[in-house]
Amino acid sequence: MSDILYFLENKVQIVALSFLLFVYILRIFWLFRFKSRKEQSYSEGNATACIAHSMLNVAMPWAMESIRKKPFFYIQFILFHMGVIFAIAATFIIPYGPQLFNIQAVVWIFQFIVGMAFIVGMFRLYRRFANPSIRLISSRDDYFSLILMIFYFGVAFLAIPNNYHRSEWPLILFFALTAFFLIYVPFSKIGHYLYYPFTRFFLGRTMGHRGVYAKRKKCRYPEGL
Amino acid sequence: MSDKNISKKIKIEDVTSLPLELESQQKASKEKIGSVTEGKLTLYDRQKRNVERFHELLRKKMTRQLASSMVACVHCGMCAESCHYCLSRPDDPQMTPVYKADQIRRIFKKHIDWTGRVFPKWVKAGSPVTDEDLNHLKNIVFGTCSACRRCTFNCPMGVDTALLIRFARGILTDLGIVPEGVFNVSRDQWETGNQMAVTEEDYLETLDWMKEELQEELDNPDIDIPIDTEDCDFMYTINPREIKFDPRSISHAAKIFHFADEKWTMPKWGWDQTNFGLFSGDDKLGAYVAKNVYEAAERLRAKRIVISECGHGYRSTRWEGYNWAEYDQNIPAESVILTLMRYIQNGRIKVNPAKNSEPVTFHDSCNIARSGGLLEEPRWVLNKVCSDYREMSPNRRENFCCAGGGGLLSMAEYKPLRMEVAKIKADQLKATGAKLVCTICHNCVDGLTDLIKHYDLDMKVVQVLELVSHALVV
Ligand code: SF4
Ligand code: SF4
Repeated sequence: MSDILYFLENKVQIVALSFLLFVYILRIFWLFRFKSRKEQSYSEGNATACIAHSMLNVAMPWAMESIRKKPFFYIQFILFHMGVIFAIAATFIIPYGPQLFNIQAVVWIFQFIVGMAFIVGMFRLYRRFANPSIRLISSRDDYFSLILMIFYFGVAFLAIPNNYHRSEWPLILFFALTAFFLIYVPFSKIGHYLYYPFTRFFLGRTMGHRGVYAKRKKCRYPEGL
Repeated sequence: MSDKNISKKIKIEDVTSLPLELESQQKASKEKIGSVTEGKLTLYDRQKRNVERFHELLRKKMTRQLASSMVACVHCGMCAESCHYCLSRPDDPQMTPVYKADQIRRIFKKHIDWTGRVFPKWVKAGSPVTDEDLNHLKNIVFGTCSACRRCTFNCPMGVDTALLIRFARGILTDLGIVPEGVFNVSRDQWETGNQMAVTEEDYLETLDWMKEELQEELDNPDIDIPIDTEDCDFMYTINPREIKFDPRSISHAAKIFHFADEKWTMPKWGWDQTNFGLFSGDDKLGAYVAKNVYEAAERLRAKRIVISECGHGYRSTRWEGYNWAEYDQNIPAESVILTLMRYIQNGRIKVNPAKNSEPVTFHDSCNIARSGGLLEEPRWVLNKVCSDYREMSPNRRENFCCAGGGGLLSMAEYKPLRMEVAKIKADQLKATGAKLVCTICHNCVDGLTDLIKHYDLDMKVVQVLELVSHALVV
């Protein structure tokens, strides 16, 4: 393994990860700077249960009409995000547990997932260009982030077998891109997963409090009033 | 469906370029009305730096809930097909909830968010430059969204677009950049304590008239519509539309309360449970109106506040009002639907569903269902008082807006677009085959009546109190 690859796999990745964490902490402090309104009315539901329901929304494709109507989008969503998880996992497996990728079946599973994510990414890019409604709302960041992800999946596909003795370039590219990602993500739309718990928490709390979901079985008012 | 009344597609530029009408504001300024001189109601002033003030207000009013909905959107477009505007105008990319929300989000990005402040073009951050731009924003947030929250429930990220729309409306209201109807209703509610400028005299006379009619109908001179009686089981609050256009709904309620042997009262002041602050985004107005109701209940030592059939009134009085007024709830408040449920459950009134034999369907008001949590209760009551109940599809949390929500009924300039996008609701109604559409919202009554007329449907709008009153076994 060359020095440059070793440097990218270890030192650079750790620095980039620390940067990401640091910016995320700042970002959370930034969000907390804004005041939050508390509910001053009597509750008619179970806010905690509804917050949990809201957070788990992502795992309940039946919960939203928009997804029920377009199950293909949900499959895409799963594949794309699985691709992200598997690619990130690879960035840890390669430097810290490379023996796992000595198992051919594991390599194939990883390649299959990131390969599918690559195809989904291409489809999403096509949709972003072709659908006038999506095109109208898309920013340069939207396009760049998506193209970057597609490229990343492609590179991850090539890097996962971890054949640095045959060619180092896929690995160098993969780890260089990972480092770039870690620095770019908090400033781009890719960092949306940081906000998901917040929006879902607030929605769940409001709707739970009002009994829109997770309504209390028993009315809180005394009977016969 | 007959096409004879169905207008051609509206050009969206004709809506977004509608000018700021100032006639009412100028009149209010000339007359020096109290709410203006006391600074409660803002008049548009061309001389003021409105764009800068917009930015200041944006920062000042920002909350954590809003900020997270501002930053969380991934521009996936999943919300598009949940919106009746979008579904009715599928070829118009400006109708998607995300596009509408982006018109305020871009300003947030430019002035508050990180990346947008440094690289605005990268994330499509931008800022209004002139008052014309603010007027354009006004037409989007008031004219192309009924704040129904359907998109919110269909966003995988949990982005509350309706909340962002209300937020933008609130800032524009603080600058006087509002549709004329919004200004007029807000003025009336500030000035008279109710949305329709009903005077105390009119209010008391109408109640008296309804009482006399009821006494005659039931041949019982003891029937009363009590005013300002202390220590009652509940204080009944209404929508001013009931006084002005639909006083029968008060007599239906009074009749039911009479047969339930209820100890109830209506207040002389603080009777309007509707709240235009919800629509205009003006939390100050919201607080003032809600507090009138809460304080009236305290003054009368009522054990409960009962809210008549009204969607936004229920949401405002039961939920939002306490937060706007920063008032810890100390007296239970409920929709009259729960009161009716209790009467039927406890055998305090007897009903016969055969008396309402026409096929009836139920329209969930957005503010009552999606934003209020009353989903099964109205259905429970309807199933007790009607013999042919038919569910609409989709329903409950997923129901479509009557298209007249979000205060749109008061904004005549947006009516052509409202009627066009009401097509989704019209199709939904027609598919039920019902002859009656029941709703527990006076706003929806008008919204549905408009679209029934426009799309030439063979249907009539009714409310639950009317059906229960009709089904009474006396
Ligand atoms: S509001 Fe939600 S559904 Fe709509 S584009 Fe944004 S993230 Fe997607
Ligand atoms: S709140 Fe309702 S009307 Fe407004 S954008 Fe969302 S779905 Fe459309």
